[in-house]
Amino acid sequence: MTDAVVDVRELRKTFRVTEREEGLAATLRSFVKRHRKDVNAVAGITFRIGPGEVVGFLGPNGAGKTTTLKMLSGLLHPSAGEASVLGYVPWRRENAYLGRMTLLMGNRTQLVWDIPAADSFRVLQEIYRIPEGQFRSTVNELTELLELQELVHKPVRNLSLGERMKVEFAAGLIHSPSVAFLDEPTIGLDISMQVRIRRFVAEYNRRTGATVLLTSHYMDDVVALCKRVIVIHRGRLLYDGPLADLAERMAPYKIITATLHDGAASSTDLDAYGTVVSREEGRVTLRVDRQVAPERTGRLVNDLGSRLADISVEDPPIEEVIDRVFTSEQTTVSA
Amino acid sequence: MIRTYRALLVAQIQAASQYRVQSILWMLFSVIRPVIFLAAWVAVANSQGGQIGAYDVRDFAAYYICLSLVSNLTMSWNAYDFEFEVRMGRLSPKLLRPLHPIHYSVVENLVWKLTTIIPLAIVLVFVAITFDARFRTTPMHLLLFVPSVLLAAALAFLSGWVLATLAFWTTRVHAVSTFWDRAAFIFAGQIAPLALLPGPLQTIALALPFGYILGVPAEILRGGVTIPTALQLMAGQVVWVVIFYFAFQRVWRVGVRQYSAVGA
Amino acid sequence: MVRYVRLLQLFFRTELQYELEYRLNLVLEIIQTVVVTGTSVAAILVLFSYTTILNGWDLSAMLVLLGCFYLVQGFGELVLQPSFEKFMEHVRLGTLDFALLKPASAQFLVTVRNFQVVQLAQMGLGAIVVAVGLSRIPSIGLAEAIGFPIALLCGFGLIYALLLALSTFAFWFVRVDNLMALYWSFMDAGRFPVDVYPGWLRVTLSSAVPIGVAVTVPAQVIAGRLDPLGLGLLMLGTIAAFVLASWFWRLGLRSYTGASA
Repeated sequence: MTDAVVDVRELRKTFRVTEREEGLAATLRSFVKRHRKDVNAVAGITFRIGPGEVVGFLGPNGAGKTTTLKMLSGLLHPSAGEASVLGYVPWRRENAYLGRMTLLMGNRTQLVWDIPAADSFRVLQEIYRIPEGQFRSTVNELTELLELQELVHKPVRNLSLGERMKVEFAAGLIHSPSVAFLDEPTIGLDISMQVRIRRFVAEYNRRTGATVLLTSHYMDDVVALCKRVIVIHRGRLLYDGPLADLAERMAPYKIITATLHDGAASSTDLDAYGTVVSREEGRVTLRVDRQVAPERTGRLVNDLGSRLADISVEDPPIEEVIDRVFTSEQTTVSA
Repeated sequence: MIRTYRALLVAQIQAASQYRVQSILWMLFSVIRPVIFLAAWVAVANSQGGQIGAYDVRDFAAYYICLSLVSNLTMSWNAYDFEFEVRMGRLSPKLLRPLHPIHYSVVENLVWKLTTIIPLAIVLVFVAITFDARFRTTPMHLLLFVPSVLLAAALAFLSGWVLATLAFWTTRVHAVSTFWDRAAFIFAGQIAPLALLPGPLQTIALALPFGYILGVPAEILRGGVTIPTALQLMAGQVVWVVIFYFAFQRVWRVGVRQYSAVGA
Repeated sequence: MVRYVRLLQLFFRTELQYELEYRLNLVLEIIQTVVVTGTSVAAILVLFSYTTILNGWDLSAMLVLLGCFYLVQGFGELVLQPSFEKFMEHVRLGTLDFALLKPASAQFLVTVRNFQVVQLAQMGLGAIVVAVGLSRIPSIGLAEAIGFPIALLCGFGLIYALLLALSTFAFWFVRVDNLMALYWSFMDAGRFPVDVYPGWLRVTLSSAVPIGVAVTVPAQVIAGRLDPLGLGLLMLGTIAAFVLASWFWRLGLRSYTGASA
């Protein structure tokens, strides 16, 4: 990957926070001597993203995701480290770079509240110097993909949250950026709107070949869009690799679900085969170590014989894997 | 009622301590305009040998300092708040409580005045020294000033509420208050002491309520009117307070009925 | 450059369209500005019923000054006040980021972004008051006619620079509405020539809050009371204030993005 679109090396951001106690006396004291504390929001991360990739950027609140995105889009200067996006140093904020990237934030809007989005589009056309012909075709394409028809002529304040997010996407992509940073683009939306936004991002990536780095709280977004994920926690990189391998690397166990004919599952003792996670209505869920999973499954089939109605072996759900990663601090695993 | 007021007072003082900076700034508003016109009148008087009618330069200074103090003591901006609350639908919860909303603003006003009076006094002393103010106040004037400024505050408060109550009918209270403020600008004694308003303007000013809010108590405090005149002017204040009291009662009753009919 | 003019047109047009949707409101606002201006003229007339000259300013010159006051104030409220208010809101809500991500001058995109179209009426009335004052002055020389618009533009520039500098504090303190409110309350002092005020106030009004200069100097120019040197100094001062304020703004921006840390 020599032609990486996003190339990040040892990127760090340390915020200096002033701690102040309550009360007048403490306030006065803090004028003289401030208690400062350094918070490592991003503690040195390295990764590269190739052209056209859609990468999921995962981590709990406060992991440093948004800080990283802000550095990559040029809004924040890093404390140390290097990054280049499309060959530019983002925080120099050269117009040439800004014209080729976009940052979309699900909980913030760049549209003017009181006027229709179509008017905001015109302003953006002027700012990005988009030629009329290209502007028309981009707007038409986005209108079709996002089903915007009437929405762009209503004042933004009259739109629902989902509608507004669609228009927001159009505004953010109107200059056909080569790189898109999406920060929680589906936050607060209902399921069907989430699905439509997802479909749009996938289709947009397919049509334009834009590189996408996306953060989301909804694992469904990541599963649907990203082949590759980068996981960070407390500012450090925990995992970088295919989504499919995440479970294998991060969760060294499998889930065996056995369904019994006689409904006597509650009384049957299965502790010998693995850790029983749940029992209900003739169905038992077991957690077993990854290495011994095939052997244990074989034993279960043998021992239970005809009492067994169904059996399945799966990776644990992705949410569970992620959750496990974040609760148990693990060292960096890189694919 | 006293216990209610005490509770409201405590809560409001706590809230006010968070808005210290704002209160000081708002206090400056009641100083800046009087000082501007004071400076202008001093320039006019100087061009006429130092005397305009019964006022010399030092009398102007005393008048505008008193005016600033009175305007701070009587100022009532609840009309703006109220319109906002009606428009945003925040009034309904207040109407549900067993206490007339007017009591909240009485307390707010009281606290605001308590918190600004000391910084205001400091600024005014500074102005008095700069312009070398001379007061003609006698103990009798001071005695009369107390009821006079209370009447003025009541008048400002009630008339402010009558304006505010218009929000029940129209969303354009802002325009109405602009007209009200501009009339006060001319007739309340801001651009000139009432005694210096030219002929017809003075007659109109004495027939309107505005002068009784600012100019009248200011002149009494300065000692710029004789005691009999002061009493006469205070009678005018009483009349206007009574008029606005009944006007408010009436407008409020009809207004609340209207408001609940619309079901906002 | 052309792009920025076109953007300005776009900003203005969208705001105009929006205001035109509320016609009754527009009419009411215009009536209000007429009342405000009318009562201010009345106040001047009351003062001049006792004198023919105020600190060397006769009624005509005084009217020109009041007109300038409303021109400058109207300009401030037409574009600066709404834009700077919005700017502080953006800082508070974190939406300023979007302006910083655009391939255009962030200072431009932020500080002349919003308009209160109705304030054009205020400026128009100011111009009328200036015209009335001028009609009472027997003759105006060419130098004055050229100097006046220049001085007025400098006035606009000074007010812009001051507001830019004040609002820059928002990068560090977030809530600076109070500072702005203080400024607007001092603005009122511009309705009289700055030389009527006593020492400390005059100094404040000509330096820290240059409203005195911004209004008084254009009126002085038209009344033929300012030499070319004074005008030259005003121009230099305005440019210096603009450069200084812009530099301060960029400093604030750097701290906002953590470049200075």
